Amino acid sequence: MLKKITNFFLSLKLTITLLALSMVLVFAGTLAQVDKGIWTVVDQYFRCLIAWIDLPVFFPRGWDVPNIRIPFPGGFLIGWLLVVNLITVHWASFKIQVNGARRIAGILVLLLGVLVTMGVMFGWGTASVAATDSDAFWRVFLRLGRGTLAAVVFYIACVLLYRKRAGMVLLHGGILFLMVGEFMTAMYAVEARMTIKEGETVNYIDHSQQLEIAFTEVSNPDRDTVTVLPQRSLKEGAVISADQLPFDVKVNRYFVNSNRPRPLDSVPESARRGYPAYEGYGARLYMAELPEVSGATGAMNAPAVDVELVDRSTGESRGRYLLSLWMYPNFVNRSWDMPTRINLGGKQYEVYLRFRREYLTSPSGSPFSIQLLDFVHEKYEGTQMPKDFASQILLVNEGDDVNRELRIWMNNPLRYARRTFYQSGYLPDDSGTVLQVVRNDSWMIPYLACMIVFVGMAAQFIQSLRRYQRSDA
Amino acid sequence: MKKIIINGVVVLFAVWFFQSGVRPPKESETDFQVTAFGQLPVKYEGREKPIDTLARNFLTILSDKQSVYHEGERVSATQWFLDNISGRPEALDYQVFRVENMDVLSSLGLEERKRFRYSFREILPRIGNLDAASRSAYAKNEKQRDLYDKQVIKVANKFYLYQNVMSSFEDPTAIPSEQLMSTAQRYMSLGKYSIPLAVPPNAGNSKWRPLMSALLANHPAMKSMGNVGPPDAMAVKFGVMLSAYRDGDVARFNDTLNEYNASLQRENPAVLEKMPFETFYNRLGAFMKSAQLYLLVFVLSCFGWLARKRGPISAGLALMICAFIPHTFAIIARVFLSGYPPVTNLYSSAIFIGWAAVLAGIVLELVYRKAEGMGNLVGGIAGFTTLLVAHFLAGDGDTMEQMRAVLDTRFWLATHVITVTLGYMATFVAGTIGVFYILAGLLTRRVDEATRDNMFRMMYGTACFALLLSFVGTVLGGLWADDSWGRFWGWDPKENGALLIVIWNAIMLHAKYGKMVGSRGFAVMAVTGNIVTAWSWFGVNQLSVGLHSYGFTSSATFWLLVFVASQLVVIFAGLIPVKVWRSGR
Repeated sequence: MLKKITNFFLSLKLTITLLALSMVLVFAGTLAQVDKGIWTVVDQYFRCLIAWIDLPVFFPRGWDVPNIRIPFPGGFLIGWLLVVNLITVHWASFKIQVNGARRIAGILVLLLGVLVTMGVMFGWGTASVAATDSDAFWRVFLRLGRGTLAAVVFYIACVLLYRKRAGMVLLHGGILFLMVGEFMTAMYAVEARMTIKEGETVNYIDHSQQLEIAFTEVSNPDRDTVTVLPQRSLKEGAVISADQLPFDVKVNRYFVNSNRPRPLDSVPESARRGYPAYEGYGARLYMAELPEVSGATGAMNAPAVDVELVDRSTGESRGRYLLSLWMYPNFVNRSWDMPTRINLGGKQYEVYLRFRREYLTSPSGSPFSIQLLDFVHEKYEGTQMPKDFASQILLVNEGDDVNRELRIWMNNPLRYARRTFYQSGYLPDDSGTVLQVVRNDSWMIPYLACMIVFVGMAAQFIQSLRRYQRSDA
Repeated sequence: MKKIIINGVVVLFAVWFFQSGVRPPKESETDFQVTAFGQLPVKYEGREKPIDTLARNFLTILSDKQSVYHEGERVSATQWFLDNISGRPEALDYQVFRVENMDVLSSLGLEERKRFRYSFREILPRIGNLDAASRSAYAKNEKQRDLYDKQVIKVANKFYLYQNVMSSFEDPTAIPSEQLMSTAQRYMSLGKYSIPLAVPPNAGNSKWRPLMSALLANHPAMKSMGNVGPPDAMAVKFGVMLSAYRDGDVARFNDTLNEYNASLQRENPAVLEKMPFETFYNRLGAFMKSAQLYLLVFVLSCFGWLARKRGPISAGLALMICAFIPHTFAIIARVFLSGYPPVTNLYSSAIFIGWAAVLAGIVLELVYRKAEGMGNLVGGIAGFTTLLVAHFLAGDGDTMEQMRAVLDTRFWLATHVITVTLGYMATFVAGTIGVFYILAGLLTRRVDEATRDNMFRMMYGTACFALLLSFVGTVLGGLWADDSWGRFWGWDPKENGALLIVIWNAIMLHAKYGKMVGSRGFAVMAVTGNIVTAWSWFGVNQLSVGLHSYGFTSSATFWLLVFVASQLVVIFAGLIPVKVWRSGR
């Protein structure tokens, strides 16, 4: 039985089958992006064990194809099977072929390679505030150079241990490393955004994939108290009790996406008929559920939540409110700001449904902030085509004694505090900037893996070319 | 000896072939110096270029050609352009507007005609219909537009462009004062579009300006308002040139042109630097000429290869090298003129893939002594087809466009784009050998055992390169994405397309290592690689999702399908048992 399983994983036919399946999956996942948002597709096709392929994606959208969902091995399943396949094949057919001193030397060099790789990954010898003032060239070149260094050390180790098969082993090791890196990115990388107006100082980021309801008590003149209800608690029908709030919050409905608010009297009578009696903005504005947006439009979903505030002791309703992401200023690029104001039990609250907010801290634990000094939107002369977007910022971290003026612009991010700040967008009339903030501790793996595979593949091909030349002569 | 003579003849033929049309037409003292006018600088779509380029691109957008036939005579793009912007009455009679759609034609009250080209004067009476139809088409959601709507928009856009360009060369000096405000407002709103800026920075002005705005300041009524500076001397001269041309005053036109050049030389010599070279590049038309020679190479080598004759093959190789030199030169010229690495858009990728495939063919012929003309065949057909594809892709205007902010990085354009394009090339080369293997094996007796082994080796070697290049290129693309917005792999359609090529090449090599395919199976797989690559290169753009989708054309979809169908035919031919093959018997 065990033998059968090993034989199954040992076969190159399995490799080819899996690769072919991955092609079908990638192809379907690409076509699906015509209708669906990229993140939905990634979750439905690639970051899962079983993917559900929608049959209509393979046909022109005008055709009336029944919407059948076909189960298919998902990205994670194919990936892990390939990893097992790769390891078994190498384990069985690429045994270490040397003994004695050479073997020990090989293992030592291998360990050195691991050490170099760790060093490159954790950025040994790089500046803690890394922003570039010149072109991308040297920065990326240097990173690839670091990757090559690790690759060469590994190659020497492979030559010592595997002789002629060194290139083959190394290149597959690189592929393995790349896949592990991507898996880690899928699991642990976090993308967030930061919206700053010119002159403003901001010390938090918006996690654009997660939401929360924030109640800010503003009745106290010298401090605000913020109570946050995280997204996972916002289930339909749930009643949430937070100690700091003198009332319970009942979730009536959760909309995946909602329309841009428009005056209630502008919508047809039929739509108004079933519209609940809301307090706050919902009393004047019409907001209803919309289907999820497609990746092709580049638009973002604007979830909304229909909540009821309930008196904790009597269970009586204290008002029904509709909170939409449209009211949160960072969602609409600061075009407007619509806090829902609630006055209950002698306390005043400002309420938002907003992106999950995280306050910025450096690894030492001290908070830091970014001030936008100037935003530049350069166009090609005589056109509307953008040439460059650049944010001149002031990075301040008093605890770590950092106070630096820096520039973040297209293709030239700032790396600081294990986060990377990218120029991503801008506010209307170029009045401010939107930065993409990514935390991904495995971001150097592709640089390393790329060079490892390259060195291994090149060595392998050069070797077979030589062998061919010799046999030909 | 005989070989030297043949090669000499081939070289002489190529030189003669390329020099034709390079020299500008002769202009005597008493003629308008149209060629010199064509070398004047203008800034359009963010790039400084000679009027010659602007006129050629503009004419290509309108009529798909770089010159006009008018009353039996060939009129150069520059002359056509000059006739138009100077407001000569006969300019309205040039048949340059290409309208193919029957319904659009009937709404314009026009009869179908050979080559589908119509003059402005013919269209003018019913142009209101076109405008109304295009407005209603624009009002619709993109998905709800039908074929007619799309065609209307396409034709109407030509007219809007034509009118915008013409307006930007207007001379408002003579308009009555009461229309001044409305004209100024019209010019302000025109400035929001991309229009040609004809007046270069000079002693009196530090920015490029469109002619009409610069001349408006020269209006007598504006002067009396007192809030404008002195008139722009360069703009005034440009205006004088146009009016002299309109009035047929040769001497005044030529003199002003010389003065204009002289003062530009004095005040801003930098803008003149590249202009003569670019007009030379335009006249050379290297890509189309190389394409024709590559076709000849292919035909010659087909004959030589099938008949096992060395002569045609070595002549073909010489000719291929002769065509390759101008091809290379023109690519370098583009890099010099645009300031970007060679591949920036679909057009340049086609040119570059062709170039690299021809280079691969030459290397194969020179290095691998058993190539027996296979390098010629691959280089010839790949060079010809890719340059032909490029020719059809050039219809959208300037092929040396400026790059949008995120794509504007020479480092990544030079590394990722070049490597991944070379990966496409290598996959295509392996696939082309596969096509020859299958077709020649099935239809002729040429593919004997030795040939089979050789072709297998060549396919395998290029597939190795293809895997290496496409893998490194794809990963570099991911690194670019990581460096630009922090996501190494985002499952963007173009990334996926490149990934498919990598996986397919990997499958091919694993199938060979596992001895699951022989030479015929490998050839079939290599041909399948053509489909995968074509889809990644062109098909992805038709989805119009993601950052990379820069070239949507529905005729491209059609030709892509034709290509895929042809490759499928070859694949099925390859699956026919060897017993039936002529080479197999």
